[in-house]
Amino acid sequence: MEKRLIFDSSSIINFSMNGLTDLFVKLKNIFNGKFIMTSEVKYETIDRPLQIKKFELAALKIKKLLDDGIFEPPSKECSQLEIKNETAKILNYANNSLTARGEFIHLIDRGEASCIAMDIMCRKAGIKSVIVIDERTTRMLGEKPENLRKLLESKLHTSVEMKHDFEFMKDITFIRSSELVYIAWRKNLIELKGGDVLDALLYATKFKGNSISRQEIEEIKRIGRAS
Amino acid sequence: MIEKEHVLNVLKEVKKAVENNDLIKLKDMSNQTLHSASIYQDADNIAIAVIIYVLSKILERTKYRNYPNWPSFLSAFMHHIDKAVEYLEKDNLPLFEKELKLIRKDVNHLSGGFKKDIQDVFQKASINKASRIYEHGISIEKTSKLLGISIFELAEYAGGTGVSEVDIGISIPVKTRIKNALEMFD
Repeated sequence: MEKRLIFDSSSIINFSMNGLTDLFVKLKNIFNGKFIMTSEVKYETIDRPLQIKKFELAALKIKKLLDDGIFEPPSKECSQLEIKNETAKILNYANNSLTARGEFIHLIDRGEASCIAMDIMCRKAGIKSVIVIDERTTRMLGEKPENLRKLLESKLHTSVEMKHDFEFMKDITFIRSSELVYIAWRKNLIELKGGDVLDALLYATKFKGNSISRQEIEEIKRIGRAS
Repeated sequence: MIEKEHVLNVLKEVKKAVENNDLIKLKDMSNQTLHSASIYQDADNIAIAVIIYVLSKILERTKYRNYPNWPSFLSAFMHHIDKAVEYLEKDNLPLFEKELKLIRKDVNHLSGGFKKDIQDVFQKASINKASRIYEHGISIEKTSKLLGISIFELAEYAGGTGVSEVDIGISIPVKTRIKNALEMFD
């Protein structure tokens, strides 16, 4: 079965800020499938940061990964127009689902929605796919939308109502940069020696925006020691 | 969309807090505006949250008071807030919004180190408020666009906060997620 890892900007940016972009190359070498970057994610990780001096170098390094074919734009799975249309539908649905004080809360943006669109289209085409995403909101929409509603309610100090369900996202599988560094560590792709390398990698992802708790990190380390 | 009475009340309280140099109150007022900013996601609520936070920061750092431009800068800042209140009371939203924008524009008229320092405070305030909106449950990409900052900046800042330590955010067990990742690489 064909496979795809669909990358959101949050995870690509995480690896980039941790100086781990080379790890994408190593992971791709052992992956029997494609690493997908939608045009919306390309905009967030390459096109836009190329215009900001502070992030220009990071953007160039990510661009090289795309130029070298480590990341690929969607092609076989669907056309650009199909992704754009599906992305627009998802944005409209997701951003018109939860209400507070009579207003719909706009939860997600184009890059995140494009990953969901891509995943749905991959599965329709019989391709096994997973979304790699570090940011919390999109992941919660798929895995536990009710928890997201509760979170919003507790933070906004007002009642939040869910107008429709997120059944269409229930089959989406999400992983984070932490799971990717775990794979890299377990498959001996990390050349660092001495010290607790897995611990260092996991916390590095956390401190660059990966939504992972300390408790989850300790759990991954336990799994790692037992493997 | 702004809630007129709430915003008027906040801005009047801000004025009092500045007069009393009450930094805690200012930060509290800034946080109060975040709920509206997260729901309505409009430029006005976001600008108010950032402006109040900036005020708390520039008053906290007393070294700024040594700059020759300090008295006129603070006076103009507060004048714009007074005018914003006045226009909002008259339901003149375009002029209300203009006054909010002028606060930030005034920074361009400053010079040297003071200008750079205040620009830096505005940028950091935007990142701080973005992080708080992300914490409220709005996605990282959506939030970065609302505040006009990059995901790089927001991810780094949010990574240093307690956003990911909230139990409710753990939507599936770690063991399952690891298994899913391993399956893709088998």
